[in-house]
Amino acid sequence: MVIERRWKKWVFFYVPLTLFLVGMLFPFYWMLITAIRPDAELYRSWRNVHNTPFWTLHPTLDHVQDLLARTMFPRWLWNTFFIATVSTGISLFCGLLAGYALARLKFPMAGTLGTAIFVTYLVPPTLLFIPLANIIRNFQLGDTPWALILTYPTFLIPFCTWLLMGYFKTIPKELEECARVDGATRFGAMARIIFPIAVPGILSAGIFAFTLSWNEFIYALVFISSPERKTVPVGVVSELIRGDIYFWGQLMAGALLGSVPVALVYSFFVEYYVAGLTGSVKG
Amino acid sequence: MAKHPRSLVPTVGAAPPIEVALPRPRPAAPWRLTRFLESERLLAALLLAPAVVLLALFIAYPFVMGVWLALSDASVGSPGTFVGLRNFVKEWNDSIFQTAFQNTFFYTFWATIFKLTLGMWLALLLNRQFRGMRLVRASMLLPFIVPTVLSTFAWRWMVDPTFSVVNWLLYSIGLITNKLPFLSDGRWAMWCAIVVNTWRGMPFFAITLLAGLQTISPDLHEAASLDGANSWQRFWKVTWPLLKPVTIVVVVFSVIQTFADFQLIYVLTGGGPANSTHLLATYAYQIGVATGLLGEGAAISLFMFPVLFVVVWFQLRYLRRLEGA
Amino acid sequence: MDRPRSDRKTGVDRRAFLRRTGLVAGAAGLEGILGARRAPAYAQGTKLHLLRWNDFVPACDEELRRQLGEAGRALGATVTLETINANDLQPRITAAVQSGTGPDIIMLLHNWPHLYEASLVDVSDLAEWQRKDQGGYYSQSEAAAKVGSRWVALPHSIVGVQMAYRKSWFDEVGQTTWPRTLEELRLVGLKLKKNGHPIGQTLAHTFGDAPTWAYPMLWNFGAAETDVTGRSVLDRKETVDSVRFMQAYWKDACDEGALAWDDTNNNRAFLAGEISATLNGASIFIAAKRGADKLKDEKGQPLWQDILHGPIPNGPAGSWAYHVAFSHGIMKYSKAPKLAKDFLRWLAAKEHFGRWFEAAGGFSVGANKYWEEHPMWAKLDDAMKIYRTAARVSRMFGYAGPPSAKATEVYSKYVIVDMYAKAVQGMSAADAVAWAAGELRKIYG
Repeated sequence: MVIERRWKKWVFFYVPLTLFLVGMLFPFYWMLITAIRPDAELYRSWRNVHNTPFWTLHPTLDHVQDLLARTMFPRWLWNTFFIATVSTGISLFCGLLAGYALARLKFPMAGTLGTAIFVTYLVPPTLLFIPLANIIRNFQLGDTPWALILTYPTFLIPFCTWLLMGYFKTIPKELEECARVDGATRFGAMARIIFPIAVPGILSAGIFAFTLSWNEFIYALVFISSPERKTVPVGVVSELIRGDIYFWGQLMAGALLGSVPVALVYSFFVEYYVAGLTGSVKG
Repeated sequence: MAKHPRSLVPTVGAAPPIEVALPRPRPAAPWRLTRFLESERLLAALLLAPAVVLLALFIAYPFVMGVWLALSDASVGSPGTFVGLRNFVKEWNDSIFQTAFQNTFFYTFWATIFKLTLGMWLALLLNRQFRGMRLVRASMLLPFIVPTVLSTFAWRWMVDPTFSVVNWLLYSIGLITNKLPFLSDGRWAMWCAIVVNTWRGMPFFAITLLAGLQTISPDLHEAASLDGANSWQRFWKVTWPLLKPVTIVVVVFSVIQTFADFQLIYVLTGGGPANSTHLLATYAYQIGVATGLLGEGAAISLFMFPVLFVVVWFQLRYLRRLEGA
Repeated sequence: MDRPRSDRKTGVDRRAFLRRTGLVAGAAGLEGILGARRAPAYAQGTKLHLLRWNDFVPACDEELRRQLGEAGRALGATVTLETINANDLQPRITAAVQSGTGPDIIMLLHNWPHLYEASLVDVSDLAEWQRKDQGGYYSQSEAAAKVGSRWVALPHSIVGVQMAYRKSWFDEVGQTTWPRTLEELRLVGLKLKKNGHPIGQTLAHTFGDAPTWAYPMLWNFGAAETDVTGRSVLDRKETVDSVRFMQAYWKDACDEGALAWDDTNNNRAFLAGEISATLNGASIFIAAKRGADKLKDEKGQPLWQDILHGPIPNGPAGSWAYHVAFSHGIMKYSKAPKLAKDFLRWLAAKEHFGRWFEAAGGFSVGANKYWEEHPMWAKLDDAMKIYRTAARVSRMFGYAGPPSAKATEVYSKYVIVDMYAKAVQGMSAADAVAWAAGELRKIYG
């Protein structure tokens, strides 16, 4: 290792890292403090220096209780989870097969097809929005989770395919060839040899796709109308801003609770995630 | 699926009929299916089918319909008739469109620059071993995983025109006497949006670049430092060249997302004040979806496509050249 | 390359099996999914889905929810209410119309019925019934919901818009009555702003408070979007005068942060004591009264006692207002249009609307003069009495031309609002008007 002096380490490592941490996490602290702040403390003059915007002496859990008991938040959480999981599953399946084919198999138009799949990622959602509404009408999917489960892969598949394609390229061809020499079929070699090695890549693609679908707003806002079928971002925004009242406490509690599941997934898999990305970025 | 009793197949190329009679762990796949799968073309077709079908149905077809919409005067509830390029001409000469067009470039350019430089810096910091490393890495990802809409609400509350905590802070320590117009001045609002976008997108840069950094062997660094290179030189001479391909991939993805960004502006400013923060996506939404002028909205969205295409094409070409070299 | 060949016979079986089970299962699954989706849609219209905004007076939504249960029992149906942000209503309507699914009845603000005419069920019979039952509609409601000779939506209510102001702060600067002219208002505002209590007026892209200020600004100076034939006449000296006034008023009297306000910011700012006056529905007063134990002025007295209302003051051409018409439209894609009509009729019946009207406490008034005579008005605080007859003096978007979808487009694009917003941000009045006139010419032709 390169040895460095102590003050240098402070100036070039600890201080910047701390600044980054504070900058990245302050909005979360702000969400938390808003979530537990009593309503009476919300709207106070910005000129009053005696205010304590950074903490509160009367923390309350009312907003969390209200969110869980008086809105359909648990239901939205489940909907989001369900939709994100299924659409991620579909996209991973498609992306895995397509990524393998594009990385490993020789067939005419391979390059063109790869580019074409990538190009679909460029189509702006605002353009697709109205035509998708028509498709949803034709399939009678309006106001069902399937409207979202089938539209989310449009932006997930290109991403998964490209990430996994990169990952497959890093796996030595020899591994597969050995298996083939041992008598495995191409399909067998793919399914038994290559896919297991690609697990970190699959995980990071999956995590990323899951985050994107957890985060999606515009399709969910307009394709779902029943309150009990909404997703977290849409439900929180449409039910917690009531008329002239922003339920800031509940909104922020919703934002925090709504990201806990994803945060858990990440904290378990962050090392895999990095490892998976490492694989695919090598390519 | 097609599992072969390896031990019993001595050579590849022969087709011993005797194999049939032998016990096997599970029923074999039909020979046709197997051969089918052995043909690279057919296997490729089969493997690509699910992705292609889904994308064709939910992107290619809507895309064609979207192009048709852009060439028609369709509005909500009425299918419209073909009007040629009229919508494009109209938008091109429309002052709000021009603002949105410029804003989109401005926003994408600066947000990407910030995300890249800060993300790179953060990745370099995180690439060291230190206590609590895992925790720090995981918590750095937080901005990336909270649904954008909700985290943007938190930001909106922080820079609220009347109750901003930032104003409170600056006023309390005596730096300002008047409120800073975070969201009420066009230029300020645009920079606020860029800051929020950077805050949200930087973790993705940092983590991906970190992944890239981990593929670089520490030996290279040590060799360089033995040669007397300082850390700045080591970064430019060793790290950066090796990191370039990853960087370009991340930038490509980020440019695509930032250029078509919708949620953040929609929540933070709604395109205001007086259209000064409209991006193409939010303007297309306002015209096409809110006002119901489907044709015009589609035309605005379509303006994004060729631009993105060109940008991404150049980036990818550059990447290929790097890889080829 | 040759591969080891497997058993042909089992292969065929397996293939056949795969085909049979896999494909059949797949098809059945798909059909199952589609079938499940179809079933409720084509069921005997016993379900109604009503989409409205989140009412600024929460008591209204509570009362409505209660009434839905009652209506459901009376009509043998289940009626569900979905409430969303008013700013999200238009996108939802577009998506619902294009996807052919969604709420059966949607609340329509302003003159939206003109924009969505092609997708709305004709409800002329209902309107005729209500006219016979409760007397003629206000012109504002009629202009909003009647397209040509057909009613495409049933008028529901009108939200009156007035300026709420802090009596004591106006007194402090020597203004004991509500200013009669806009110029007086500016001069009072100048003093108020010096005292740290500016006037709050949004010019952002928001559905209510921005257009309800911007349009009367035109009219009070004698300017208009169009002439009686519907031709754009914005590019006139009167418009420039109006914009010039707005620039001065903004600089002298207004809180500049308000360029980013949506319809809710002024409510919060007023209740927190940051602004001295703002154009709004009655929701500020109602919220202050409801939270009387928490919302106090600086002397510790309940805030609501210090709130009064006044109309937008006179300009050179008089005093006009834009009060927001609300109506309910039945969507053509609805599977239960008959039930939807029965429901709207039930909801509009005197005994039912009357209770909702009382819950609104003056924030929403009826769509016709009948409700001016309601005994509730006698019980309300003096500050609220101004709303009783407010809906009488109101012009519609697109004035002086006939109400049209083009006027709705101008509103939805916020052209008039942006004209003022651009001007107060530094564009010259003449340029701002020229810009807006250009936009209007593209729309009106």
